[in-house]
Amino acid sequence: MLDGKTKSGMAERLASIVGSDNVTLLETDAVLNAHDAWPLSEAKIRTGELLPIADVIVFPETAQEVAEILAVASEMEVPVVPVGGGAGTCGGTLPIYGGIQLDLKRMDKILHIDEKSMLVRVQAGVIGIELEEEVNRLGYTTGHTPTSLRASNVGGFIATRSGGSMSSLYGKIEDLTLGLEVVLPNSKIIRMKPMPRHSVGPDLRQLFIGSEGTLGVITEATLRLFPRPELRRFRSMAFPDVHRGLEAIRRIFRDGITPSVVRLYDPEDTAISMSNHFEIQDGDCMLLLAFDGLREIVALDEEKAVKICLEHGAKDYGEGPSKRWWEHRYDMYYPTELTTSGFSIGDTIDIVAPYDKLETVYYSMKAAMEKHDAFVMSHFSHMYQNGGSIYMIFFTSQRDAKTAWEVYKRIWDDGVAACLREGGTMSHQHGVGLSRSTYTEDELGSAFLVLKMIKAILDPIGIMNPGKLGLGVKE
Amino acid sequence: MTDSEKTAQQVRMCAACPKMCRHVCPTFFAWRSDSPTPHGRALLLHHDNLGLRQLDERAVEVIYQCLECSHCLTWCLPEIDIATIVEDARRILVSQDRFPKGLETIRSSVLSNHNPFCEPHEKRVAKIRFKKTKSADVIYFTGCTAAYREHGIANASIEALKEFGFNVSIPDDEWCCGSPLLRTGFTSEALEQARHNVEILNEMSGETILTTCPGCYRVLTQDYPVNDLRIEKPVMHLSQFLAKHIDKVPKGNLAGGVTFHDPCHLGRHCGVYEEPRLVIERITGESVKEMERSRDNAMCCGNGAGFRTLFSSQAKKIGGERVRQAALTGSRYLITACPFCRNLLASEAGETLEVLDLPELVMTVLRKR
Ligand SMILES: Cc1cc2nc3c(=O)[nH]c(=O)nc-3n(C[C@H](O)[C@H](O)[C@H](O)COP(=O)(O)OP(=O)(O)OC[C@H]3O[C@@H](n4cnc5c(N)ncnc54)[C@H](O)[C@@H]3O)c2cc1C
Ligand code: SF4
Ligand code: SF4
Repeated sequence: MLDGKTKSGMAERLASIVGSDNVTLLETDAVLNAHDAWPLSEAKIRTGELLPIADVIVFPETAQEVAEILAVASEMEVPVVPVGGGAGTCGGTLPIYGGIQLDLKRMDKILHIDEKSMLVRVQAGVIGIELEEEVNRLGYTTGHTPTSLRASNVGGFIATRSGGSMSSLYGKIEDLTLGLEVVLPNSKIIRMKPMPRHSVGPDLRQLFIGSEGTLGVITEATLRLFPRPELRRFRSMAFPDVHRGLEAIRRIFRDGITPSVVRLYDPEDTAISMSNHFEIQDGDCMLLLAFDGLREIVALDEEKAVKICLEHGAKDYGEGPSKRWWEHRYDMYYPTELTTSGFSIGDTIDIVAPYDKLETVYYSMKAAMEKHDAFVMSHFSHMYQNGGSIYMIFFTSQRDAKTAWEVYKRIWDDGVAACLREGGTMSHQHGVGLSRSTYTEDELGSAFLVLKMIKAILDPIGIMNPGKLGLGVKE
Repeated sequence: MTDSEKTAQQVRMCAACPKMCRHVCPTFFAWRSDSPTPHGRALLLHHDNLGLRQLDERAVEVIYQCLECSHCLTWCLPEIDIATIVEDARRILVSQDRFPKGLETIRSSVLSNHNPFCEPHEKRVAKIRFKKTKSADVIYFTGCTAAYREHGIANASIEALKEFGFNVSIPDDEWCCGSPLLRTGFTSEALEQARHNVEILNEMSGETILTTCPGCYRVLTQDYPVNDLRIEKPVMHLSQFLAKHIDKVPKGNLAGGVTFHDPCHLGRHCGVYEEPRLVIERITGESVKEMERSRDNAMCCGNGAGFRTLFSSQAKKIGGERVRQAALTGSRYLITACPFCRNLLASEAGETLEVLDLPELVMTVLRKR
C-alpha cells in the first residue's frame, strides 16, 4: 500500500486524466471492487476475511486515457491491475500488491458493425450480454456464450482466453478475435488489424490473448459475427460409462460432425445435475448435444451422431436433458444455502487434454482430489476433433476457515500435479490468475522462459498485474 | 431462525455471489462500477453485521444509491430481496441520523407541506379540475406528483372516469401517502401522514379508492396494512379499475404503435401487469409492442426511492436508456401508468417518442374521435 501523500498525489494526477468523478480513493469502493468471482475470495468474504485492496481505482473511457494512466503508473512504479467484468474465477483482479485498479467498464461502446465482413468492433468494457443482444437484433451472434456472459466483458474474455459453451462449433475467443488494440506498459497504443488470416510473421494478437493484464491493457477488439442459426436442436444420450461416451464423441468429430454443444457428465455429475429431473439409471453418464445451422444439415448431423451414440451403447433421452441444461445453464452458479454454509468451498479445475490422455487425466485427477475429503464431479465439455476439456468440479466443507483453505489448496496442488503428470494442460478457459499462478512454470516447462523474456521486454519495471500468470511474483 | 438471522444469512450469500444479476441493476448501469450493485450493497451490510467494517459515509451513499426497483430479485434464484434489505438498512441509518442530508428537504417538506416538492399544501388541488360531489362512485387519491407536477394526469383521469359514467370525488385534505419517506427509511414521519390519510379516506363516502400513482397504490395496499392502518374501502390502481370496467372503455384506434413501460411499484411490487395492457389495447386497437425487457424484467425508469433527488444525472442516464429501449420497438407512443415514470421518461424522450400516462392516453384517443 502507498502512503497517504503518494496516494493522494497519484489520485490527483489520475483525476486530471479521467476527471475526478472517475477516480476513487475511498476504502469502501476499494473493498467493493477488489474481488472477482474466485471461489476462494468468495468463501473468504463469507467468513469475514478482508481481501487485499487497491490504493486507487480509476475508470478511463478511451485508450488515450489508459495510456496516460500507465505513464503515471510507470513513473511512480505502482502496480496496475486491469479489471474487466470482475467475474474471472482465478483471482486475476485481486490487487495483491495494492496500486491502481484500472477498471474498463466505462469503455462500453460498440463502435462499428461491419455486416459485409461480419465483424464487430467494440471497446473492451462492453459486457458480453450487451454485445450479444445488440448483434442479435441484426440477426447475428458472436458465437461466444460463456456462462459469465452477463458479467464479464470483452476485454476480460480476451485477457483470459475464455471459451463459450458452444466453442466446439464457433471456437474460443482466440478464434473469434480478429483485431486488437492494446496499450503497452510504456504507454504506446498498438493496433493489430482485423484480418481473416495472414502470413506476416507470428500472430502478435495471440501474445495478448490470454495475457491476463500482465503485458498491457486491451482497449478495443474486432470480433467475428455469425448469422444466427436457422435451427438449434438438442439431443441427449445416456452411456453406461465415461469410456463409451468419450469414444462416441471422438467418432462424432472424426466423422466430420461438429455439434455446437458436447457435454458428457460423469456418473456423479449426472446424478447431481440431472437425476432430479429425469429418470436415469445409477452410474449412467449423460451426453448433451446441440446442433446449430441450416435445417437440412442439422437433421443430417443429428441423425448421424445419434447413430454413433447408439452403436456405443447409449440410451436415447430425446431433447429433454440437453434442452433443460441450456435453459438452466446459469442456475448452478447462484449461491445456495448448502454451498455457502459454514466453511464450505468448491471450485473447478477446467483442464484440457488430447483424446489419448483424456481418460487417464480424468481418473488420476479424480483420485488425487478425492484423497482430500472432497466430493468430485465432472463433465467433459468443449470437445473438439483432437480432444477436449474436463470440468473437474470439487466441493469440500471443513470445521474452520484455516483447515478449509488448506484443504482447498491441497486439492488444487494435487489435482493440477496429476493433470500435468498425465499430459494434460491445467486450464482450458478460466486462465491462470492467482489460483494457478504458481503452477505456470511447470505447465509451460521450457517455454516459460519465452514468456518471462517477453514480460521483461514489454514491462521492464513490472507494473502490470504482478503476481499473476506466474509473472512478477514479489518476495 | 429469526428474521434478522435469516436476513444476515441472505446477505452473506449475496455478498459473495458471482454477480449473477448485476447486468440488470440500473445503478450498475449508471455508474459502471461494482460499488452500487446488489452484491456490493450486500457485502457492506455483511461486513457491518460481522462487525468487520462499519458503514462509512461512502457505504451509506451506496445504500442510498439503490432504486429499490427489485429488478435484481427477478434474476435471483435464491430470491434474495435486496430492495427490502436496503430499506431495512435505511431505517436503521435514519434512526442513527446518518441518512444523506440531501433527503432532509423531502423529509421536512412532507412534514410541513404534506408533499415532497416544498409546494404549499393549500395549492394541492389548485390545478385539478373537478366538481365537489357528495356521493361518489370513486374517490381519487391523486398523490403528490399528479397534484403538483403532472396535473395533466390527474385531470385526464377525472375526465376519463366521468366519460365512462363514474362520479369522482377528491379528498379535501389529502396528504402525501408517505411513499418517499417509507422508501428512504423515515418510517415514523411516513406513518404520521398515513394515519391522517386513513382517517379522511375512511370518513369519505365512495365505493372504491383509486390511485394513478403506483407508489401510492403500493403504500395504501401494502405498507398501511402492515402498520395496522386499515382503509375500509377497496383501493385500486386506475389501470385495474378500467380493466374491471373494460366494457365502458370504448374501442378506439391510434396509429403509430404503442409500447408500455411497467412501473416497478405497479409491476414487480404489486404484480399488476395485464390490466394496463388490456386498457391500452382496447383504447388504441393495437397490441402493445413489448420492449425486450418488460413485465417483471422491465428496467426501472430511474425515478425511485429518493434517487432522483440525490443523483439526478444518473437518474437521467437510466431514464434515457429506458427511452432507448422503448424506441427500439419502433413505437410512436411510450405509455406508462405512473406519474413518476412519466415525468422522467418524458424529460428524456426527445421528439420521436411521445410519453403518456395511461389516463392521458385514454383522453388523447377520446379527444381524437
Ligand atoms: C458464473 C460464471 C460463469 C463462468 N463461465 C465461464 C465460461 O463458460 N467460460 C469461460 O471461459 N469462463 C467462464 N467464467 C470465468 C470468467 O468469467 C471468464 O474467464 C472471463 O473471461 C473473465 O472476464 P472478466 O471480464 O470477468 O474478467 P476479469 O475478472 O475482470 O479479469 C480477468 C483477468 O483479465 C485481466 N483483464 C481484464 N480485462 C483486461 C483488459 N481489458 N486488458 C488486460 N487485462 C485485462 C484482469 O487483470 C484479470 O487478470 C465464468 C465465471 C463466472 C463467475
Ligand atoms: S441478489 Fe441474488 S443474484 Fe443478485 S447478487 Fe445477490 S445473490 Fe446474486
Ligand atoms: S433494487 Fe434495483 S437498484 Fe437496488 S440493487 Fe436491486 S436492481 Fe439495483
